[in-house]
Amino acid sequence: MRRLPVYLLLDTSGSMTGEPIEAVKNGVQVMISSLRQNPQAIETAFISIITFDSVAKQVVPLTDLASFQMVDIKATGTTCLGDALKVVSTCIDNEVAKTTAEQKGDWKPLVFIMTDGIPTDDWQSGLEEFKKRKTAFTVACAAGSGADSNLLKQITDNVVSLDTADSQSISKFFTWVTASIGVTSTKVEDGGKEVTGLGELPPPPSELNIVT
Amino acid sequence: MNDEKQVVTKLFKSNNINVPANRMDLLDRFLQDEQNRATINVIIENQNQLMAKWKLEDRIAEIIQQPVRVLNATVGKAYETRFDFNKFNWKDITAFEFSGLEEVGLRYDEKTKQITGVPTQSGDIKITLRFKVDGQPEDSAFNEKVITIIINPDPKSLWKNVESDKNDPHWKENDVTVFAPLGGRHILVSSKRGRSHANVGSFREDDFAFRDLENGWSLVVVADGAGSAKLSRKGSAIACNGVVEHFLQKSSIESMAGFDELLQQHKNSTGEDTQKKLNHFVYNNLGKAAFEVHKKLEAFATKEGIALKDLNSTLIFTLFKKYDVGYALLSFGVGDCPIAVLNKDVTEVTLMNWLDVGEFGGGTRFITMPEIFKSEKFATRFGFKLVDNFSYLMMMSDGIYDPKFVVESNLPNIKKWKEFLADLNGKNEDGAKVELQADNKEIVQQFSKWMDFWSTGNHDDRTLAIVF
Repeated sequence: MRRLPVYLLLDTSGSMTGEPIEAVKNGVQVMISSLRQNPQAIETAFISIITFDSVAKQVVPLTDLASFQMVDIKATGTTCLGDALKVVSTCIDNEVAKTTAEQKGDWKPLVFIMTDGIPTDDWQSGLEEFKKRKTAFTVACAAGSGADSNLLKQITDNVVSLDTADSQSISKFFTWVTASIGVTSTKVEDGGKEVTGLGELPPPPSELNIVT
Repeated sequence: MNDEKQVVTKLFKSNNINVPANRMDLLDRFLQDEQNRATINVIIENQNQLMAKWKLEDRIAEIIQQPVRVLNATVGKAYETRFDFNKFNWKDITAFEFSGLEEVGLRYDEKTKQITGVPTQSGDIKITLRFKVDGQPEDSAFNEKVITIIINPDPKSLWKNVESDKNDPHWKENDVTVFAPLGGRHILVSSKRGRSHANVGSFREDDFAFRDLENGWSLVVVADGAGSAKLSRKGSAIACNGVVEHFLQKSSIESMAGFDELLQQHKNSTGEDTQKKLNHFVYNNLGKAAFEVHKKLEAFATKEGIALKDLNSTLIFTLFKKYDVGYALLSFGVGDCPIAVLNKDVTEVTLMNWLDVGEFGGGTRFITMPEIFKSEKFATRFGFKLVDNFSYLMMMSDGIYDPKFVVESNLPNIKKWKEFLADLNGKNEDGAKVELQADNKEIVQQFSKWMDFWSTGNHDDRTLAIVF
């Protein structure tokens, strides 16, 4: 069976303290419960959570939806986005199966990045690593005015922004991520076709601005 | 005496009462007074009780707040997980009971320290552990700790079966299974709408056709409409019918007669020359059919004002005819549907075609693509085999190939075909068995049931044609 790997890179720096981090935790929970109701997603989608603050770490390895359990995350420290890009690169190498003559590999991974600030580390070197990996698409979300959409544009063409990092906007972002994973898992199961860009995803809600 | 003195001194001190040195004798006498001593002892006892009570409450709160992870369960699937109090450091729990477990089909076994059962209900289920800890009076009320068990829905129950719109001009029956005589043998063929289509009420995109021709040839066609093309159900239907229509044409019947003669020549000679002629014959006659189908699709697209790619469909077809020397099998294929011939005693498999599979999913080719006819690979899309006899001729869409063979490299492996036949013969999860016997009155029902096998992640349309 070909899995659809989904990596969520979540900013857990100090500035996320309070409402934003609670909204992120809640967003992931709601996302998982809702995807569990989607017959294609529950069979194909595998989710991993990578958090980044003063360091990046994979807090949930690539796990099928049925066994997934969210871990507690806390906001503290700086914003090592570059490290997060390195960590996700390593995870893709280790976790995503390649297609060979003897086995059907996994689908190309989907990567969602959410950050409310500006990277504090050498993010370009992380990006260099990340660019060497094949993904179906990467979406970056600039949450609130502290994030730099133009910087995220250098990571991926698909950048969306939230005017404020409040719980309502964050929950809308996760609702849209949920719909995007749902659509992609249906497409791969149904048509055997990969989704390649924002244009093939469901239209984002009005709280999400597409950065062009 | 000392204890009492300490308590009183502390009490006085915290209330700003100083006992000067010249009053120490008085204090000693004060402490020796029977009534005072009794009062002090009550104070000490009360303090101790208060502290013990607090420790107890604190411990209870600690247990209630302690994060406890329980393995996720799935409705209908036997569940078993260890839930060991010692592991949670709950050695001081003296009495407990669970509530909420039985309601969802689970129970706790104290001996094995396991939660087991077959969950009946999905959701983030809140279980209450009612417990007492060491130090609590026996008649005290239970404390309550809420534990969440995530119970996933049964994936099979999530798939809806939505009827397709019968008023649609290109409507197609969802499921078709047919058994019929063909070319002195029999054909058993089934084409079923995939769960992914049933889930949203869309149409079956696979199709098939078969026909005995009056020149002694028999024809079997399978086509798989592309999931991404909006009218591919029509594309696959046009492709299948188009092939049949082509070979029914008078010109084609006449042209095919040339094969008999060529085969005779081939039998009498050993040279490469006749082999070449035969290959050429196959290329010309079957190539013409393929191109005609392409043209028909093009004409339909023009008529309907749609893009040709909206009709995207793969296409495989096989012609077979019995001669004195054995069976001649001719084939054409574009796309990822295999054609396989198994010899009489099922010790050898012959693949008639190669599959168009890209590095990534969706890299297949379709009969609607004009470039396939111009490609240098076009000549390799034809197959010609002369065999003594065969046990089975199998043609299938990827809805069967993907779950049953997984990768292309399994197709030339006779072991995999033996497993496939065993699967058809009932060696599967549901015990669904198809007796491939011409006199089997139940063959259609048996095959139809077999076709509904469950395979995680494989919910595409399924078409399988077996000539035996």
